[in-house]
Amino acid sequence: MTRNEFIIRRLHSLSGLVPVGAYMTVHLLTNASVLDSPATFQRNVNQIHSLGSVLWVVEWLFIFLPLLFHAVLGVVIIRGGLPNVSSYPLSGNVRYSLQRASGMVAFFFIMWHVFHMHGWFHFDGYLKSVAEPLGGAQFKPYNAASSAAQALRSGAVQVLYAIGVLSCVFHLANGIWTMGITWGVWVSPAAQRRANYASIVFGVAMSIVGLGALNGMSRVDVEKARQIEDQIYDSLKGSKTPEELERDQHKRDLHRTADAEHPTAEESPTADLVLPDTVPRR
Amino acid sequence: MTASHQSPADAPRTFDVRVLRQDGPGGASYWERHRVPYEHDMNVISVLQRIAAQSRSVEGDEVAPVAWECCCLEEVCGSCTMLVNGKVRQACTALVDRLLVDEPEGIELRPMGKFPVVRDLVVERQRMFRALEKVRAWIDVDGYYDAGPGPRQSPEDQEVAYPLSQCMSCGCCLEACPQYTKVELTRDPGESDADFQARQDQTYDSAFVGAHAISQAVLFNSHPTGTYNAGKRLDALTQEGGIQICGNAQNCVAVCPKEIPLTTSIAKAGRQTTWHQLKKWFDQ
Repeated sequence: MTRNEFIIRRLHSLSGLVPVGAYMTVHLLTNASVLDSPATFQRNVNQIHSLGSVLWVVEWLFIFLPLLFHAVLGVVIIRGGLPNVSSYPLSGNVRYSLQRASGMVAFFFIMWHVFHMHGWFHFDGYLKSVAEPLGGAQFKPYNAASSAAQALRSGAVQVLYAIGVLSCVFHLANGIWTMGITWGVWVSPAAQRRANYASIVFGVAMSIVGLGALNGMSRVDVEKARQIEDQIYDSLKGSKTPEELERDQHKRDLHRTADAEHPTAEESPTADLVLPDTVPRR
Repeated sequence: MTASHQSPADAPRTFDVRVLRQDGPGGASYWERHRVPYEHDMNVISVLQRIAAQSRSVEGDEVAPVAWECCCLEEVCGSCTMLVNGKVRQACTALVDRLLVDEPEGIELRPMGKFPVVRDLVVERQRMFRALEKVRAWIDVDGYYDAGPGPRQSPEDQEVAYPLSQCMSCGCCLEACPQYTKVELTRDPGESDADFQARQDQTYDSAFVGAHAISQAVLFNSHPTGTYNAGKRLDALTQEGGIQICGNAQNCVAVCPKEIPLTTSIAKAGRQTTWHQLKKWFDQ
């Protein structure tokens, strides 16, 4: 650890941009596609889920593990410093402290967010008996916009998401700027100033994208979106094997909390579960 | 800025100076208040001379003179560096008239917080010089043979190098750096001088080298003769406690009394270490 400190710190710096930061940018842009329509968002999600059974490998290898590495080492780095903004209230110093604070906020937000939407793990028994009763795994990829909208119904959740997203965006934008100094990309004060403007523009743009996505999700008409999503799912079904359909069941919103009086179709997952008719019409 | 030769119109007859004192290494620190008669054009050094001459606190108790270090009295040696009203700077260029305008209550003096206190305002800055040794902040010219005149340096390169050569090793950049944390060792019972020194060097070497040493490494790497040992300096900068500890708070460049472009040096060293590491991986 100490012998390879330089390499490890540089990997920490790199992992913040690729893959973690790059992933976050794609993630926020994908989410913002809900502003076009729930159908557009659904098609984007389907594109991701077309990876099928290797999706979890991609998620772990290129998202979760790099993220955990970045986060755990980030905590080690924070513990090694001693912020002194009160003695030296300079803009760079404030950003140094904010970078650490936003990193901690982002870490707790992402852990909660991944549990809240995804449940952390995919095992069916775990999802049913642990994650879902605890309020996790609420996002259903084949009912993308409607399940996300339901998960984000409460105002408190929306506020926490806004704080979390803005922390992540600040951390990435400021991180890109410091990374350029660390690796020696922008060297002179003038170059650092120009890079600073560029990262501010990037940060503001990503804040708009992130908050736009959050706002778009919260304004989704759940019932209408669900119908569209189910239609898209039905159109996909022909190209899937029964095993794939079975495996996909946890990716669908079958609880239908909105109409609890209707029996759920969980028992026969490969049957035609959700005909548009079962959705109560207004 | 030029020093003001006019004292403030409402110059006080006396003013108070709060000093954070410590009787010896590792001891407890305590505040002591001194009242000093106002004179024209005082600096913090002349204030400390008054305090030493009085050796009497505001309460009238006879106290040991406050210890401090100073040498050049013109901000080129760095020895009188301390915290004046909470900011790290040289006591010799801290002018009382200006300090009292900013803070009419009086003046607060503290020793630097990142180095072990020897006594009162005197600190032990060995770690700073150990870091200069670590990065080979010199040019190897000694040898048995006359190596002839060195290569010439272009005026452009001289202009880049000169500001870096102004470093006086005062430690302001380290004091203000949130990544440079205090390392203070105490000698174990029965430990010899040499053993303690070795243990101390080892501990210092694993802690952050600091902006001053990074900048000196860049200075000597840019020197036509010093560049022969650039690889060794970059090796040192990529060891434990090297440049990777920098957190880009950029306080160093803001507090440097010689206005050395320390963050430019850090970015240059960042680039040099990046290439150096890649070369080590792929060329060897």
